[in-house]
Amino acid sequence: MSILRLAFQNLVHRPLRNILTVIGLAVAIAVLVCLSAFGHGYQRALGAELDRMGLQMMLVPLGCPYDAAARVLKGRPLENSLPESALEAARRDPAVAIAAPLLMVALPRPDAGRADMWVGLDETALALKPWWRVSAGEKWFSNDDSVILGCDAAEIELRSPGELFFSPETGRKFRVAGVLERSGTSDDSLFFVPLRTAQQMFNQSNRLTAIAIRLRDPALLHEASVRLQRIPGAQVVTLTEMMGTFLNLVGMVRTLLFSIALVAITVSVLGVFNTLLTAVVERTNELAVMRAIGASRWQIVGLITTEALLLTGAGGIAGVLLALAAGHGIENLVKSFVPLAPDGTMMSPTAPILFQSVLAGVVVGVLAGLYPAWRAGRLQPAEALKAE
Amino acid sequence: MSRSIIISVGAAALLLALVAWRFNGSSSSPEIAIAPKSQPPPAAPLCPWREPENDLKQFFPNATRYERETRILSGQRLELAEQLGRIPTGDENALHVYRVYDGQTPLGVVLTRRVKGAYGAIELVLAVNADGTVRGLRLQRLREPAPIADALQNPDWLHSFAGKRAADSWKLGQDIPEVAADARASAGAVVEGVRSLLILLATTGQTHDPIVTHHH
Repeated sequence: MSILRLAFQNLVHRPLRNILTVIGLAVAIAVLVCLSAFGHGYQRALGAELDRMGLQMMLVPLGCPYDAAARVLKGRPLENSLPESALEAARRDPAVAIAAPLLMVALPRPDAGRADMWVGLDETALALKPWWRVSAGEKWFSNDDSVILGCDAAEIELRSPGELFFSPETGRKFRVAGVLERSGTSDDSLFFVPLRTAQQMFNQSNRLTAIAIRLRDPALLHEASVRLQRIPGAQVVTLTEMMGTFLNLVGMVRTLLFSIALVAITVSVLGVFNTLLTAVVERTNELAVMRAIGASRWQIVGLITTEALLLTGAGGIAGVLLALAAGHGIENLVKSFVPLAPDGTMMSPTAPILFQSVLAGVVVGVLAGLYPAWRAGRLQPAEALKAE
Repeated sequence: MSRSIIISVGAAALLLALVAWRFNGSSSSPEIAIAPKSQPPPAAPLCPWREPENDLKQFFPNATRYERETRILSGQRLELAEQLGRIPTGDENALHVYRVYDGQTPLGVVLTRRVKGAYGAIELVLAVNADGTVRGLRLQRLREPAPIADALQNPDWLHSFAGKRAADSWKLGQDIPEVAADARASAGAVVEGVRSLLILLATTGQTHDPIVTHHH
C-alpha cells in the first residue's frame, strides 16, 4: 500500500476532526486570498479611475493645493482664480497634450436650500472626458446660449433638450442642448455652459478656476510639473500625488487586515499541529507495529508529513473556492474601510495570487506537521508496544 | 423501430408545444382600461417643503404642530386616471400630506409639488382646508424671467385659487384669471399642478393603503 493511500485512509478514519481542521485552514486561506486580490484590484481600479479622468495634473490658484484639487474634482468652486494667461502658458509647454480650462461658480439659492453650480468649459474638455455621454440631446453646445445639464439637475428642473432654461441671478436665458447620463460624479448636478458664456455671466473675463492637464507622455510628469509650477499665480497638483495619498491610507487599512489574516493563519496552523500530534499519540501502537514489521523511520516521517500535506492542500483548495464564492461580500466589507472606493469590482484574484496563497498555506501547514512527524519517527517499537 | 417512432412523435409534440407557446407569448397584451385623454406631465422628484414655519404662519396662523403622512396611491391608479384625465405619473403613486393641527383639532393640510415651468421647475406649496377647498397657494421656488415670475406671484392671481375644489372647473382665463401670453404656459402648469394635488388628496380619503407618519 502506498504512503499516499495510507495517509489518506488515516485522515478518512477521523473525519470530524480533520474536516474541522480543513475548514479552519480554508477560512484563513480565503481571507488571505481576498486581501491579496483586493489590494491588487484596488490599486488597479484606482489607477483606472484616475486614468478615466483623463488628466495627470491640475493647475490651481495659489493656496492649499490638495484642497483646491479636491474642490475641483468634487465640483465645488475655488475662492480665488487663475489668469487666462496661465492657460496659454500651459498650452505652450512641450509636454502638455491637452490643457482644458474650467470656470466654476456657485450661486447660492437660499430659497431652494442649495447652490446652482455653473461650469464653463471649452471643447478641450471633451478630450479629457471621453466617458461623457448624453442620455438625450447633443453632447456639445450648439451656440453661446446653450446649456448641458447633469442628470440630477435636469430631473430637478424638469428640463429636456430643446427646452428653455433661465438663470434668475444673471438674467441669462439658455436652451438645453443635452442632458448627461448619470455618472455618479459631481457632474450629475452641474450646469455646463461654454467658457466664454460663463466668464460673461459672472464678470470673470479672462479668469479661470483651474486648468486640467493631460501630458503627451506620463513619464514627463516631473519635468512638466517643475516648468508649470513657474507660471505666476498658479500651482501644480499631480494626480499621482493624490493617488499616493489614497494608497497610503489604503496601505494602512491593508496592514490592519493582514494582521487579522495572520492571526487566522496562526490559529489554523496550530489546529493542523494539534490534529497531527493527537493522531500520532492515538496511533502509537499502530505506528510501533509498522516499525516492528519493517517500516523505516523515514517512512513513518513521510507518512505523517503526507497527512499534513493532504490536510493543508485540501484546506488551501477549499479556501480558494471559499474566496471566489464569498469574495464579493468581503469586498463590500473592505470597501467600507477605505477612503476612496473606485467604481466597479476591486476583487481581482489572479492565478499567481491563488497559487501563492495555497502554497503559503501548504508550506506553513507542512512545517506545523514536522514536529508530530519527527516524534512519530522517533518511536521505538519495543518501548511503544510495552507501554501499550 | 417502435422506440424511434415514439421518440419522433414525442419530439414533434414538443416542437409544436414550443411553437404554440411562442405564438401565445408574442400576442399583444390587453389594452389599458382607461385611455389617456392627454399626455401626463413629466414625473418629478418629490418636492420638499422648504419653509414650513413661514407657510404655517401665513396659511394656518393658529397651527401648533403638523404631521407628515405618506399615502400610497398606486392601488388607485384607475380612479386617478379617470379624474385627472390622463395616466398618473410615477411620482403620483405617493403623496406627502402635511396635516396641520391646533392642539388636537385638525385645521387642514399642506401639499407640495414641482411642476414644469417654461424656464425651469416651479415648486408649489398648497394649503387646503379640512373641507377640501384651497386655503392658499405659494410658489416656494421658480426660475422664470421677471415678467413671468411677477405674473405668477401676483397676490391677486394666487388668491384666485382660494375656495376652489378638486371637482370644480379649472380653465385658465375663465375659472382662474388670465395672465400675459408669455406667462401662460407656466401659469397653466401651476393650475394643473394645483388641480392634480387636490385630486390626489381627495383620493387619499378613499384609500386604505399603508400610511407612514412623522411628527413635527
